[in-house]
Amino acid sequence: MEVSDAVERISGKMEARGIAVDRSQVEKKIRRLVEEFGVQLAEAERTVTNELAREHSLPSPGARAQEREIRGLSAGEWVTVQGKVVALTNPPTPAIAQAGILADPSGAVRFTVWARAKAKPLSAGKWYRIESAVVDEFRGVEKLNIHSGTTIAEVESETPLIPAVVPVKDLRPGVGSVRVKVVQDWEPSHERMLQAGLLGDETGTLKFTIWKEEGKEKLQQGRVYSIYYALVDEFNGRLQLNLSTAICLPEEGDIQVREGEEVRGVIVHLAPGSGLIKRCPVEGCNRVLSRQNYCPVHEIQKDFRYDLRIKGVLDDGIRTRNILVQKDIVEALSGMKLEEAVALAESSPLGMDEVFYRIRDAILGRYFQVRGSEMDGRILVRECHRIRFDPADLAALLNRAGGEAQ
Amino acid sequence: MNGRRMQGPRSGQIFDREPARRVFAAELREVRLQFREGEDEKSPSFVLLPTGARCNRILLVGTLTEKERRGDQNVFYRARVSDPTGTFSLMAGSYQPEAMQQIAKIEPPGFVAVIGKPNLFESQSGSMLVSVKAESVTTVDRETRDLWVLDTARATLQRLEEPGATEDSKRAQEEYRIDPAVYRKMVYDALAQLKI
Repeated sequence: MEVSDAVERISGKMEARGIAVDRSQVEKKIRRLVEEFGVQLAEAERTVTNELAREHSLPSPGARAQEREIRGLSAGEWVTVQGKVVALTNPPTPAIAQAGILADPSGAVRFTVWARAKAKPLSAGKWYRIESAVVDEFRGVEKLNIHSGTTIAEVESETPLIPAVVPVKDLRPGVGSVRVKVVQDWEPSHERMLQAGLLGDETGTLKFTIWKEEGKEKLQQGRVYSIYYALVDEFNGRLQLNLSTAICLPEEGDIQVREGEEVRGVIVHLAPGSGLIKRCPVEGCNRVLSRQNYCPVHEIQKDFRYDLRIKGVLDDGIRTRNILVQKDIVEALSGMKLEEAVALAESSPLGMDEVFYRIRDAILGRYFQVRGSEMDGRILVRECHRIRFDPADLAALLNRAGGEAQ
Repeated sequence: MNGRRMQGPRSGQIFDREPARRVFAAELREVRLQFREGEDEKSPSFVLLPTGARCNRILLVGTLTEKERRGDQNVFYRARVSDPTGTFSLMAGSYQPEAMQQIAKIEPPGFVAVIGKPNLFESQSGSMLVSVKAESVTTVDRETRDLWVLDTARATLQRLEEPGATEDSKRAQEEYRIDPAVYRKMVYDALAQLKI
């Protein structure tokens, strides 16, 4: 250990907290302790750090730091942790020397080694004790920052690391491990993207992406995987998984994936364009034709294809949601098959409006439970059921209303 | 859409449809405050419920007991719909053609689900009345009525159990000074009329 290293570390620690220090002063203090009083350098470093911390009323960072569990770190803390580097990613800027994920048995956290820290590069798969790193928050995700005041020491550890797998609905931004099935495989939207799709478990689904990198392989649709240490990011209010850092292990068995969200409420509005509609017959078009058989792209069409749908509003008294219901479910809800609807429209003086009124009278003002996935502010309904009266609800509400009335 | 409230999880959307609040007739009858959000002529108008929620639109399910066709040039319908706590007055005029045609077809008595907008006005005798301008009136079954009573009981209790939780709730506390026990009893009595 050299005096100059100690001076750098102390200055770094202070500067990371926004305090400018005079390096020559720090060096003088250390030398005085070491050379005049024969104090060990490590002890001198600790003493000077504490002294400076006291001077600026900071919590004493140099005290023999208590090791913290990685789970539960929060922004603004100055921490010492011991963990294994489970992933390294390509740093997005030259200001960052290394980025990756550090894990201990309690959890995992993203870390950044700043280029200015001039730290010895960390190796994936090795354990380190990281002293005086600073936790901050970026886009709602806690991150461990290794700066010039951080001390890193490689340690030997045989601690088995078993990542805690959580249900998809309990994921939060940061790092997460899940056991899931790949349910959809999408067309990659970017040339650097290897794969994008949807995966999920019994509690929900989310989007995943894998970026093109050496050694990365696509996941197979329909297959179950254990995914350890994926990056969980929030985008437009929704979580998604970036598997670039993750270890994906194929598993046996199957998962009944719960797709989409469930909403309960009353259908309070049926928008124009509900009921019996005509679609453009041009292959791959399928757009809805106007009453004059006009397609917005292919103009006037002689021919068309009939279809049934509902564009409606489901309202739970607090929030309204737009829903889109396809033919099969419309048939089930209205009790009217497409052929019957066509026959009705062709024989009624009101034409297609008659079908609209029939469907409206069958569903408006009724309670439904729908399940589907939201796309552009509209729920594409996959399942839709009438809600039934449950005497248990009545009993519970009677208790709730009578409970405090006396 | 000037003056639109942009809040909640859908704030990204340009137009937020106002939800239809669940309210019993006995509570709606007590409404004394109506206000407009924003200066715009088209900005939505709300009534403030005594239990502390604004509503621009309501959903009610009950028994249509009477209907009456009025007016010569400008035909409109008045109707009465009862729930377990009291009676709603309904109105549907030429600006609500759908509701008007629906009411015209229904023979009372029968269960109906009504989506409409509450309005507060002063009668000739000087008393305040609340009527509901119907947007849509559909015939429904008893089960839907029972579900609505549960739903409305739940929503009313929810509002009662969080006094002062929202700005509207605070305003209602100042405006109405209700006795929560009275409203709890109203909810209890409404529920007690359903068969377990």
